[in-house]
Amino acid sequence: MPTAVVLVLLAMAVALVALIVARPEITVARGGKILGFLALFVFPAFAGILGFQNHMDRSKQTSFCLTCHLMEPYGKSLYVDDSSYLPAAHFQNSRIPRENACFTCHTSYTMYGTARDKMRGLVHLYKYYIGHPNNPIRLYEPFNNRECLHCHAGARSFEQGAVHTADAQTMADIKSNKLSCVSSGCHDTIHNVAQQNKVKFWKPVQ
Amino acid sequence: MTQPQDGSISKKLRTAGIFIIVSLLVQAFSLVWNHPLAFVAFLLVGGILLLIGLGLYVWVLLFPVVHPAAPSPKK
Repeated sequence: MPTAVVLVLLAMAVALVALIVARPEITVARGGKILGFLALFVFPAFAGILGFQNHMDRSKQTSFCLTCHLMEPYGKSLYVDDSSYLPAAHFQNSRIPRENACFTCHTSYTMYGTARDKMRGLVHLYKYYIGHPNNPIRLYEPFNNRECLHCHAGARSFEQGAVHTADAQTMADIKSNKLSCVSSGCHDTIHNVAQQNKVKFWKPVQ
Repeated sequence: MTQPQDGSISKKLRTAGIFIIVSLLVQAFSLVWNHPLAFVAFLLVGGILLLIGLGLYVWVLLFPVVHPAAPSPKK
């Protein structure tokens, strides 16, 4: 839901609650009790849920991730003018939604993956403002092929790719995450931020 | 017919309402601030204030304090 709509609902909820605060005696009558319940429980809870949903959606945006200074080189790597750079190739060719680029590849496509990622995000905030963030940052665990296969499974280029189908075991190993897509010598040029001063950058047409 | 409201209930409703208003204002502010700390403000400040306000209101609903009625004048 758009932020403006949530803000309007919040303003309506505030107005209703303010009415009850100013004149609590109106909750004596039956109609007033219903109004009180709507004003002091239903609307605030509903507005809170919508606000939470809005925040969750915003936290998936690329711009949100890049507000952290540590992430700046990773955001910049999306514009590297070299198709061997995996994130750049995905970003520049719209294989992933550009506005949600980080989240699309770095979430865990599991039942509670998004919730777990957001909890980790809170840990990142703690480390950034209070603790000591790792620099350079590292993944918590090796990149799981599941995140790639979320989109690529079933795609012709993946299922019938010459290397992928070189033998039956290769495909089985990719799908069972025994053979990593990104660290088995195949698609292993990722953000590569340490080499960023040696590459050219793509400038999107405005 | 409705009975006049107890003064302490009005006071608790007001307190609950103030908590809820502050929480909603914090939530509104967090929605116009595009920053990771806005999410923390929403969750920790807005969320906790909202829970306190809602909890207080539910408490008033479930356990209204009823003072003993004043003795009626003898006829």
